[in-house]
Amino acid sequence: MTSTRIACFYVPMFPLAARLRSEPELLSEAVAVVEGNGNAAHVVAATRRARTKGIKPGLSLAQARSILPKLIARGRDTECERTAQEALIEVAESFSPRVEDAGEGVVYIDIAGMTRHYDSELDLAKAAMRAADEVGLPARVGIAASKLAARVAAELPKSPTVVDPGSESEFLAPLPLARLTPQLDAASMLARWGLSSIGELARLPEAEVAARLGEAGRELHYAARGIDPRPLIPRPLPPDFREGMELEWPLVALEPFLYIANSALERLSKRMELQGFACKRLELTMNLDPDGFAARAIELPAPTRDVKTMLTLLRLDLEKAPPGAPVTGFSLVAHPDRPRRAQLSLFGPAALSPEKLATTIARLVALLGEDRVGMALTVDGHLPERYGIGEFAPPPPPDRRLKPEKSRGLLAMRVFRPPMPVEVLMHGEQITAVKGEGDVCGSVRSASGPWRVESDWWTEAPAARDYWDVELDGGNVYRLYQSETKEWLVDARYD
Amino acid sequence: MAATAPLIDWQFQLLQTSHPAPTLVPPPPPVEPVEPGSALAQVRATLEASVAAKVRSGAELLRRAANNTERPELIPTTLEAFDALLGGGLERGKLVELVSRRATGRYSIAMSALASATSIGEAAALVDLGDGFDPRLAETNGVDLRRLLWVRPRSVKEAVMSAEMLVATGFQLVVIDLGLHPVKGRRAPDAAWVRLARSAETSRTAMLVSSPYPVTGTASEAVIKGSSGRPKWRRGLLMGLEMTLTLEKHRHRKAGTRSTLALEVLP
Repeated sequence: MTSTRIACFYVPMFPLAARLRSEPELLSEAVAVVEGNGNAAHVVAATRRARTKGIKPGLSLAQARSILPKLIARGRDTECERTAQEALIEVAESFSPRVEDAGEGVVYIDIAGMTRHYDSELDLAKAAMRAADEVGLPARVGIAASKLAARVAAELPKSPTVVDPGSESEFLAPLPLARLTPQLDAASMLARWGLSSIGELARLPEAEVAARLGEAGRELHYAARGIDPRPLIPRPLPPDFREGMELEWPLVALEPFLYIANSALERLSKRMELQGFACKRLELTMNLDPDGFAARAIELPAPTRDVKTMLTLLRLDLEKAPPGAPVTGFSLVAHPDRPRRAQLSLFGPAALSPEKLATTIARLVALLGEDRVGMALTVDGHLPERYGIGEFAPPPPPDRRLKPEKSRGLLAMRVFRPPMPVEVLMHGEQITAVKGEGDVCGSVRSASGPWRVESDWWTEAPAARDYWDVELDGGNVYRLYQSETKEWLVDARYD
Repeated sequence: MAATAPLIDWQFQLLQTSHPAPTLVPPPPPVEPVEPGSALAQVRATLEASVAAKVRSGAELLRRAANNTERPELIPTTLEAFDALLGGGLERGKLVELVSRRATGRYSIAMSALASATSIGEAAALVDLGDGFDPRLAETNGVDLRRLLWVRPRSVKEAVMSAEMLVATGFQLVVIDLGLHPVKGRRAPDAAWVRLARSAETSRTAMLVSSPYPVTGTASEAVIKGSSGRPKWRRGLLMGLEMTLTLEKHRHRKAGTRSTLALEVLP
């Protein structure tokens, strides 16, 4: 039987880390994240640059500003923190499907049996830290047999830390009591007892501690001995990926908004890549000033993770229908789908990479429009200008080389969409001259017709046309017709 | 120089070696010459004919695989008059321009190229600036619509951008048709065509640009000009079109060669 092994991801100063993930340009600045409004606003976390100047958690904003007038203060952003937590969970899910969300930058994963994929647990922990760094979160990782020991190991500044199985109590013993649980109410009492390390507490008789501190004391004593009976509670997989933030000031122009949306899309793309997904549908919800919201959904022509494509589609959509009021916050939701995959042939013609093709089609749609890219479809009926456009999904190429089929040598026609109206001069039953735009002008050398085409006579909009082939004196041959309204139109050129 | 001379002398001094003189490893015993494939022939001789025909040496398998994986360098349009000018068809990785303002079968040649490429299972794209593609007629001409991506840009700039994306994706044939005179949108700069030609060369994509007047400049491998389109009429019915194709430019072939192409109207 495999023993329980749990890895803990821990992001120190999580509110700040989440904020810097959304605004990476502030990384090198003196920034403090504050909680509360007005006089109650106090510092929750601060960057290293601010801390070196004396900014500490707990200071009021006014005190912090008196120490460092140029301090950049940012309020706690629940949207940023929620998306950062989701990103951390997704990083964890890229390692193991059994993941517990402990909130506030803490995630546990069950790594039992995973050492088969890595040389050691230390390598696994290092890989986990790198993966978290990829999504912009400076996580620490600890590995132990229980959640408590893994959490304490992750909180140590020298990361990653691996606690060998069965040595949890030895690992905890030299650490200060504050490491066991930061919000320890009994800390002052334990200090009066003369206890400073976890090991000293563990050496006291359990019954005596329980008699003085109650049930909480008994649990604390268990924890000090490295005993944590709490099992890992895995969370279900989320149906979508979400990124967003509340803005410091309302945005009116499109470009600044797209600049922020771009970084949110990049984060979404990285998160989907971790899970092996691509985006099929993108939803944007914008909070508007002073009240209200605007929501829209963009269907992508094929699943993709290409940020440029998604941003272009977003831009086109916003240009087409602006929100109508300044934007104070937004959230982007990506509905995932499996990227297209295909087995490539070894001997036949090279197949297109499905993922690359999907991205190209999405980019072409963003550039040209939805109805201008795809597979051409034939449509029932006799009217030549009719066509359909479908999704381009080519079948796999044959597994051997074929010889090209001999061309029939047919003369093709360029269809005029829409048909070009022309003036026609007739002598009796024969067309003698045509006057239209460009080259469609001149006297007629030869002509044949008319041929009657009747279509859709069973519908409310029937079409009856008399077709002619005419060769003009320039040498070009056109197909033209006279409609029911006696209007002459050129609908194709032989070429 | 005086200082370096002793150093050079020292370099050439023979080392005093106390080690015994090295002895060569004895040569390997002579191997009896074996005729290549003789062992395989012996094995085949012991097997039934049907089984023996399926037994192959590793070298034979490798040769066969190499033959199979080798893609032909050309995509023929199967229109002999056109292919003859280019030495067999559209070369992979090269850009060929077909120019004619009059009706000289430009669109028909493009359709034949698309039909040929899609019939052998290759992915092709038509960048149709003129928006004159008729799916039904193309299907009749042999184009496999499932393997053809139809792109309808609105300007030359969009057409070149689209083509560049398609080439980078790995389409084996990209046809750009700029439509009839006057071409929609402004002309693309020469640098854009050069960049497109380079992309095509990198991804081994055959490119055909069909235009009413020359646009690709120095980027094209070959330029073919269509002229003297002569419609053929019989008993008052249009039967086809006959035209002369002239090789105006080719980097490796003699320019000025002509051929006559005859196309028929769908009966």
